[in-house]
Amino acid sequence: MVDSVQELKQALNITGDAMVDKSDGSIRLVGSNCNSCGAWTFPPTSVCPKCMSESLESRELSEIGSLYSWSVVRIAPKNWKTPFIAGYVDFPEKVRVFAHMVDIDPERLSFDMKLRVCKAVVGQDADGAQIESYSFVPVVESN
Amino acid sequence: MRRVAILGAGMVPFGKYSGQTLSEIAWPAVKAAIEESNIPKKAIEAAYCGTALGGMMAGQRILKTLGITGLPIINIENACSSSSTAFREAWIAVAAGVYDVAVVIGVEKLTKFGGGTLPLEKEDFEVAHGLVMPALYAMRARRYMHEFGLTEDHLAKVSVKARNHGQHNPDAQLREPTTIEEVNRSRPVADPLKLFHCCPSGDGAAAVLICAADVASKYGGVPINVVGSEINSGKYMTGFRDMTSPEITVRGAAQLYEEAGIGPEDIDLAEVHDAFSIAELLYYEALGFCPRGEAGRLIDEGETSVGGRIPVNPSGGLLAKGHPIGATGVAQIVEIVRQLRGQCGDRQVEGAKVGLTHCTGGGVSGFDHGVCSIHLFSR
Repeated sequence: MVDSVQELKQALNITGDAMVDKSDGSIRLVGSNCNSCGAWTFPPTSVCPKCMSESLESRELSEIGSLYSWSVVRIAPKNWKTPFIAGYVDFPEKVRVFAHMVDIDPERLSFDMKLRVCKAVVGQDADGAQIESYSFVPVVESN
Repeated sequence: MRRVAILGAGMVPFGKYSGQTLSEIAWPAVKAAIEESNIPKKAIEAAYCGTALGGMMAGQRILKTLGITGLPIINIENACSSSSTAFREAWIAVAAGVYDVAVVIGVEKLTKFGGGTLPLEKEDFEVAHGLVMPALYAMRARRYMHEFGLTEDHLAKVSVKARNHGQHNPDAQLREPTTIEEVNRSRPVADPLKLFHCCPSGDGAAAVLICAADVASKYGGVPINVVGSEINSGKYMTGFRDMTSPEITVRGAAQLYEEAGIGPEDIDLAEVHDAFSIAELLYYEALGFCPRGEAGRLIDEGETSVGGRIPVNPSGGLLAKGHPIGATGVAQIVEIVRQLRGQCGDRQVEGAKVGLTHCTGGGVSGFDHGVCSIHLFSR
């Protein structure tokens, strides 16, 4: 479905970046936060879908969200490496993000479990170049 | 607004027509609808053609083969609801008195894509991250199973029912009955959905002739009345939404029932958009055929089978009849017309007087569905 890295970037970057690298190596998703009505939109946008204000601030979303639903996807356009696990993750900013999940046994996924945003290779373009984008990994509880 | 009736309905069996062009697939359906209506082709004042992926000027390409040209031909793309939208637009024009007679066509040729999942718009950021339609419905299914205790057997029963109905429909793509065990054993597509939970890909066409009710009598035949027409777009929600209840169908059905003065209890049968088994179960609730959370009970008790309280998809639905995207909306209407006329043989819903069609469309991020169109018909 995605023919090139450029196309993926275009899809993600309606305006600005949807993802930012942090100095500690982690990443964050970036949404638009409306200065007029406070609504959040992901990916970033140039106009607020709630109040049509063009005064928007790009702000980082929380690092951790909770799993709403998911699927192990076994059939997809050929640039995707199947099977892959994908799902909807809900953020405290009240946006829902669809993405792949990595480093997890699908049997261990559960509703409302905590997931951390990360960067991963999620597919490849028609020339075989790897497409890297945001993804999710389970939060490992530290003692 | 004037009352509007359907005088003729035709379709070609859904299936694989890879050796034929879009117009070659479609013209027999159009010709059948015209001949059944007894309306001479020169009386047709406008044509509305719905196709999602058929390319430019599909209506002109089809109608030139039958020599029906020099009239307004409107081509409509609205994803899986393309031809239900076309029907709605034709209904508006005839009801408003702009035209007395119009032909509505739904057509699609999916074999040109070589199989696999439906090609979606790449600009969409969820599609860019690998969202495919089976995955979207799989996530709905998983969440509904979690919240309401639905099982894989419930999902399988929808597919079994579809095939049971479809075996009696000569226009259905899949006519072999199946079993719960066979559905559960079929190839996994997007967990928890298996291959038999998914509608087949294919080609097809359907057409209806509609006219103002007050001129219908001069052509004879059995007019089927259009008693309600509704269309909506989904509500864009960047935030959380309840994927176990399709808001666009709930909202659209409520509007339509109020406008038509007809409630779910008055409906004898329905053709709903069962692109995946879970979808049909969600629509039982959204259309008011049962309360929230009781869709599993409805399929368990056989209430939605032919012979049950509210037969759903007697044609076999998308799961068995097939789902050539743009053809589906009008094909649903063709089935309701035939049912209300009592022409359906072993899948006939006895004494059917009021029928409903429900057609959703579009995998666009932030929407339950991009579009949903619901119609009510009576004899």
